[in-house]
Amino acid sequence: MSRRHELRTLLRGALRPPENDSAFLLDVHRRAVPTERMARYDDSFSVDLVIVGAGAGGATLAQRLARRGWKVVVLESGPFWDPDEDWVSDEAGSHRLYWTDARVTGGSDPVELGKNNSGHGVGGSMVHYAGYCPRFHPSDFEVRTRDGVGEDWPISYYDLKPHYERLELELPVAGDYWPWGDPHRYPHTAHPINSGADVLREGARKLGIEMLVGPVGITNGSFGNRPHCIYRGYCLQGCKVNAKASPLVTHIPDAIEHGVEIRADCMVTQVVLDESSGRVTGVRYIHDGAEHFQHADAVAVAGYSIETPRLLLNSTSRRFPHGLANDNDQVGRCVMVQGAPQVAGRFPEEMRMYKAPPPEISSEQFYETDQRRGFARGFSIQTVGPLPIEHAQHVLGHGHWGRALREYMRDYNHWYTLGILSELLPLPENRVTIAHGETDQNGIPVARMDYSQCENDRKNIAFAEQTLHNIFEAAGAQDTLVTSRYAHLVGGCRMG
Amino acid sequence: MASRDFRKAEHLPNLRPDQLPASPEELPRQRNGVTPQMHGRYPDYNVLDEADHWDETTRRLVFERVEQTPPVRFFTKAEADTLRIFCDLVMAQDREPKIPVLNMVDAKLFEGQLDGFRYADMPDDRETWRRLALGLDAAARQHGASDFAGASEDVQMRVVEALAKGELHGEVWDEMPPSKTWKVVSRAILSAFYSHPWAWNEIGFGGPAYPRGYARFGIGQRESWEGAPAFERDPVKDTEHRGVPGT
Repeated sequence: MSRRHELRTLLRGALRPPENDSAFLLDVHRRAVPTERMARYDDSFSVDLVIVGAGAGGATLAQRLARRGWKVVVLESGPFWDPDEDWVSDEAGSHRLYWTDARVTGGSDPVELGKNNSGHGVGGSMVHYAGYCPRFHPSDFEVRTRDGVGEDWPISYYDLKPHYERLELELPVAGDYWPWGDPHRYPHTAHPINSGADVLREGARKLGIEMLVGPVGITNGSFGNRPHCIYRGYCLQGCKVNAKASPLVTHIPDAIEHGVEIRADCMVTQVVLDESSGRVTGVRYIHDGAEHFQHADAVAVAGYSIETPRLLLNSTSRRFPHGLANDNDQVGRCVMVQGAPQVAGRFPEEMRMYKAPPPEISSEQFYETDQRRGFARGFSIQTVGPLPIEHAQHVLGHGHWGRALREYMRDYNHWYTLGILSELLPLPENRVTIAHGETDQNGIPVARMDYSQCENDRKNIAFAEQTLHNIFEAAGAQDTLVTSRYAHLVGGCRMG
Repeated sequence: MASRDFRKAEHLPNLRPDQLPASPEELPRQRNGVTPQMHGRYPDYNVLDEADHWDETTRRLVFERVEQTPPVRFFTKAEADTLRIFCDLVMAQDREPKIPVLNMVDAKLFEGQLDGFRYADMPDDRETWRRLALGLDAAARQHGASDFAGASEDVQMRVVEALAKGELHGEVWDEMPPSKTWKVVSRAILSAFYSHPWAWNEIGFGGPAYPRGYARFGIGQRESWEGAPAFERDPVKDTEHRGVPGT
């Protein structure tokens, strides 16, 4: 380890990332973001940019441009969270963190939406994501060239690399030295791991599979005015500690400091175009049941894989009769998810997997294509740490109900769970469309997402699931339970 | 089967020759606080004893869940009667004390607290539950019963098993796929049952841990306040109470 890196590690909590003071702008005595000095713009004032959505995309864009003098308003459909008052250490009580407005899910392998993958409120779905912060591999950008599947990107990994390095300081990311993809290290050292992760890491090692700690966007030690992680395990319910990264604590404070207005509880319903010039004039949005219009010179739509296409498809005009920027019928197409089966294993000792953050160790050893497996692309392996409701769904997913379900649940403390993220291929028929005739509480047509797997997807998932079984067997698990599911949403508005 | 076997993996359904779960009556009775049906794998652990260490928002929410059983407002009386039996079968709640799963589901549906998606070939979750009540009756009639509530427990169990396997046919079930119905309703049932601190007592879950956090997470370790499993039955209390419903 170089001298410079050693020093950085020692001082990590006190070092300011370049051009982002968020962690130092938070209050020491409360978790809510200080908004006393936040700018307020009048609807009729034409701001430089309106951003739709205050999540991972929108909040970072706002922060970056505000630092360069742009006047920015971010419209967010959900609330401006106060973690002290609004969030609870409770699974069922965290329902408001998710996008729960009406949506339709179809196709031959439909994806469960809501809490599984969709956020609501300032901070977006990062508020309730587990916390893993893996980088793409260079191969991800050229899968058509390398593997003959999917599409190549118009940019390469090396275009993004400096941004990864910058963000990993801002979140900040903690983890072991990372040997996969483009090898790199993280600014915060790896977190301690719980007993289950320890046992599984050993099991994997026996099979020649390396699992490493992290990478997670969770402070290891304090960082600015963000306290250290207390290992309470409720990462998916919103971090009441402010230790886990979400834009709410990583970018919104600095954005506000530089003149951004975050306007919460505002549902944007249409991007409006001046028909003669073809330029946007602003957005229509609903706040407290009343319609407003925010004037803007430019509009950025950052509503994630379903709401972004929905807004564009609902924004029809004479110029764009099939939805904004949809002349080529690409909006909403090739929406992707990851195959995310989970395997839980039973051990003689108590594991108590609810302790420590759910994201503990992971492996990208199976990430790249290996022809011998009989399918293109690969998967990563991660720990999951399900709390009781989530684990009960796992047990039921395996086929147990009634007394058998209760029996397995009484045994909860002896179990540990690993999950897969299988790369599923982009298919044009997997798409977001408008479910005609069905509207939400504001009268706006809702989104429909159709999803079906292809043969390569099924092979990938089956192989990955078998790999998990092998790891559990090598680790000495006495019984296993498996459940099928998906995780995350990707794409929906492809680049290029 | 001797009670001490609950320690070992061999008591789990997958590993038993008949694949059937061991009788929970072999466990000690809960001695501190409440578990559903008072099965006590952690008989001296009551998560609510720790409430002073929770943040106020969480404490308020969890205690409201224990202390206030919401009235049935969404379902009709007939629907509620049928669905309460169904929910209790899915969670094997065969006697008091019971977590009021049906009331909790009813509250969620009444308040329109839905989960953010509807399968393309399914109705709205609220409609799904109403049709489930009709569908359970229809399935029970195929077994010769007058309706689901009036059927023998054996028939009721067979109907639930068929629903779980997606193998119901006729009437409601020709229009509403049983496998997706099972997904929708089981999600709500599990979410209600395992959100209740009585269930946390039963499984030895540490519960809310903010602002205190967890510090001991090595193999076999637990915090000083977390419950230890115990399998020895109390010769007086356990024999006295076992087999007497409602005590």
